Amino acid sequence: MKVSSMTARTLDTFARMSIGRAFASGIGMVAGGFLILLVLVAIFAPWIAPFDYAAQNLMNANAPPGWPHLLGTDEFGRDVLSRVIFGARTSLSVSATAIAISMAAGMTLGAAAGYFGGVFERAVMTVVDLTWSFPDILIALIFVAIIGPGLTSTTFAIAIAYLAQFTRLTRAQIVRLKRETFIEATINLGAKPSHILLRHLMPNAIAPVIVVGMLAIGDGIVLEATLGFFGLGAQPPTPSWGAMMSSGTAQLFLSPWVIIFPGVAVAVTVIAVNLFGDELIRALDIRDRLRGA
Amino acid sequence: MPNLLEVRDLSKRFTSAGGPFRKARSMHAVNGVSFDLPEGRVIGVVGESGCGKSTLARLILRLIEPSSGTVAFDGDDLLAKSPSQMRKLRARMQMVFQDPYSAIDPRYTLTRAVAEPFEVQGVKPARPMAEEVAELLEMVGLNPGLASSYPHQISGGQKQRVGIARALALRPSLLVLDEPTASLDVSVQAQIIGLLEDLRTELGLTYLFISHDLSLVKYFCDEILVMYLGRVVEALPDTAAPARHPYTRTLMESTFEPDPKKRRLIAPLEGEVPSPFDLPPGCAFADRCPQASALCRTETPALSSETGHAVACHHPL
Amino acid sequence: MLSVRDLGVAFGAVEPLSGVSFSVDKGETIGIVGESGSGKSLTAMSVMGLLPLIGGRITGGRIVFDGQDLTSLPERAYRKLRGGRIGLITQNPMTSLDPLQKIGPQVDDVARLHLGMNANEARARTEEILGTLRIPEPALICDRYPHQMSGGMKQRIVIAMALAADPDVLIADEPTTALDVTVQAQIIRLLDDLVKQRDLALVLITHDMSVVAQTCDKVVVMYAGRAVEYGPVETIFDRPRHPYTQALIACIPRGLDDTARLTGIEGTVPTVINYPKGCPFHPRCTRAEAICATDPPDFSVEGDSAAACHFAEVADAQSA
Repeated sequence: MKVSSMTARTLDTFARMSIGRAFASGIGMVAGGFLILLVLVAIFAPWIAPFDYAAQNLMNANAPPGWPHLLGTDEFGRDVLSRVIFGARTSLSVSATAIAISMAAGMTLGAAAGYFGGVFERAVMTVVDLTWSFPDILIALIFVAIIGPGLTSTTFAIAIAYLAQFTRLTRAQIVRLKRETFIEATINLGAKPSHILLRHLMPNAIAPVIVVGMLAIGDGIVLEATLGFFGLGAQPPTPSWGAMMSSGTAQLFLSPWVIIFPGVAVAVTVIAVNLFGDELIRALDIRDRLRGA
Repeated sequence: MPNLLEVRDLSKRFTSAGGPFRKARSMHAVNGVSFDLPEGRVIGVVGESGCGKSTLARLILRLIEPSSGTVAFDGDDLLAKSPSQMRKLRARMQMVFQDPYSAIDPRYTLTRAVAEPFEVQGVKPARPMAEEVAELLEMVGLNPGLASSYPHQISGGQKQRVGIARALALRPSLLVLDEPTASLDVSVQAQIIGLLEDLRTELGLTYLFISHDLSLVKYFCDEILVMYLGRVVEALPDTAAPARHPYTRTLMESTFEPDPKKRRLIAPLEGEVPSPFDLPPGCAFADRCPQASALCRTETPALSSETGHAVACHHPL
Repeated sequence: MLSVRDLGVAFGAVEPLSGVSFSVDKGETIGIVGESGSGKSLTAMSVMGLLPLIGGRITGGRIVFDGQDLTSLPERAYRKLRGGRIGLITQNPMTSLDPLQKIGPQVDDVARLHLGMNANEARARTEEILGTLRIPEPALICDRYPHQMSGGMKQRIVIAMALAADPDVLIADEPTTALDVTVQAQIIRLLDDLVKQRDLALVLITHDMSVVAQTCDKVVVMYAGRAVEYGPVETIFDRPRHPYTQALIACIPRGLDDTARLTGIEGTVPTVINYPKGCPFHPRCTRAEAICATDPPDFSVEGDSAAACHFAEVADAQSA
């Protein structure tokens, strides 16, 4: 009785929080639910996956979906389902890490540029815009050339690719907020710049940045898959959705399941991220603030 | 009474850089303003939009850096202060802003908003913070039960009261009121004005009251400065003084009385306030002035006072 | 010319306007005065037939213009009236002006559309009207864009557009609120002259009692979506009988003529979602009694004026 009322209250608080409100609609519920499930799958992959993702069985290569290999096996006889499950780990962790780095750097640069303005702002924005003008693949190639192929290159490439977006968005928020009366009022109370920035500007600027970050994780997954597909990302035997699809192209007609299932995983995940992101924008009521950044 | 504020020749010039397709422009938002504000008095600054009254308020509080001139607060030259000295000093000179709707951080509860001045200045109130906040809210006529509300949950008039509570938290001696009631309904405006009057006597405050509303300024203030295009054109020593500057007279005649029996057949002033950019020499009002002579178009009249009633006009009324 | 009887408006379940009545004749100015959320602008939109546009509908009462009931008028017929025989002036001139079009063609369009004039006739009319509005060099102004003009000048252009179709009724919704006092005085004087010269019926919607006192013949005082008092302007200012009207007048600073302290009205202006039951003013009223919280008061009529207050007679006795 007591426990259930407490659970009810917790759920109620969650529902009233803006992020909770994104789950309120049907689409938000399904997309958000899927993403939570996917994260759980990635975390508990070793316990969920029916087989070892690296265990080869050349006798049973290219087996069609059935029992015991629900999604079939690849050209080395590895279980596709297990590899897709472990691939979720790679995709999500690389994309989320990259976006987290990018957001942290972008928010710092954007906030500083927006707050201090002047030559500093112009210098930061020029450099940042420059990174935006390079194709993502090219940035990845540069990193591969410097530190060699692998997940570290992929992570940095994705982080750089999204840096401009976070910097510009944060800067736009800060510039807009700086004109609000409450900022002038707080300056007039005798507040230091650090107080203005950390207690007023950043907390008010953060919501749209988080939403864009959420959406960028979806794009990051695609970029990670693309790099993996070209062999610039995860190296064998680490399972990655992109690399799996790449190896599947050779047997496209012989054993299509090898390419189809990781492809479906990428597509469904990205769609879920975007749908949930849209719900989040609606729930936080920030559509206007995302424009023009 | 000693002067709490001495403003001398205060000016602010804004310039916009030129480029290949436009020429550089400059405007004197505030031009050579001087006045004294004795402790305990209320001086009103009145003028139409663009006359520089809000910029003047910000120059005095050094929220904008002046181009030239001096401001002495309680005998201290404000413009000589370092940023950290200035931050300390701000506790004694506060401002109430025109737009109460954006004057409080939307993410702050009233408690946090009213406690912020103490946090910012590193001052610990004598009482526990919750009591101090409740006391301040009561002082401005707000129910302390509202303390945990967010700004969007209260009305415009209540927000302005919160703004006043924040400004008074550190017990300042000077309060600059920048159109504090301009965005409020009349019935609420009267409440806020009444509150400010009470607080003034209760706390011994000195006010600089900025407004576009001459009848409100006449009601609320002891002395009135009339501004036109960045300059003080007349300083009325008391609210009963007749206008000596033609612009002040126009302003007085354009202000409607709330009495249908006192309908005036005003001959309205033709023309409008000219662009403040690159003003020609001479009196800025000359083009609209019925009294203007050739002298008015060549020489800017200085604010001069023989009788304690200063006016900047070659042909005062 | 225009009479509104017991008008009620609803948006879904909320009823932001009820029991509003007034009438205005040619050559007459009526002021509809109230604070924010009193329903004064909504009254204007109802008369203009613009409610469907914002999702509202008329739930009761009649709007009679020149003997014709407008509440049942189809949209097509309304379009002829709107901007034609009934002109509208809004608070922000930029809501009526196209920023991408020159002034001349914008004003011409009105006469071409409503009076069937050709381009040359329309332009001649435009220049003539601009002239009567004391706009210097009308031909030059016609060739300008809205952004090249000051706020006061833009408001004059909007007035010119309202006049171009030779209307019988002009509805001015806070026409001077965004303007400086000296410009406000010019515009108010202009509207005053137009009412006399063109025999217009002017409905002036404002929050400013001083503007009402200076220009109107009759007044309707609105509060929380209801008319609380109406009557000739002298009566309303000399012997207001509704406590709200009395308090509203006491809120205006009078400079030197009256050194009495401004009191204000306790409490806050109610918004549509929390309109009080009974008399809408009772939570802020100093004279309220139990009945005020439960029963909406009827109008107590006296001569040309009436106040919706349970204790209007008491107020009479006091002021007498």
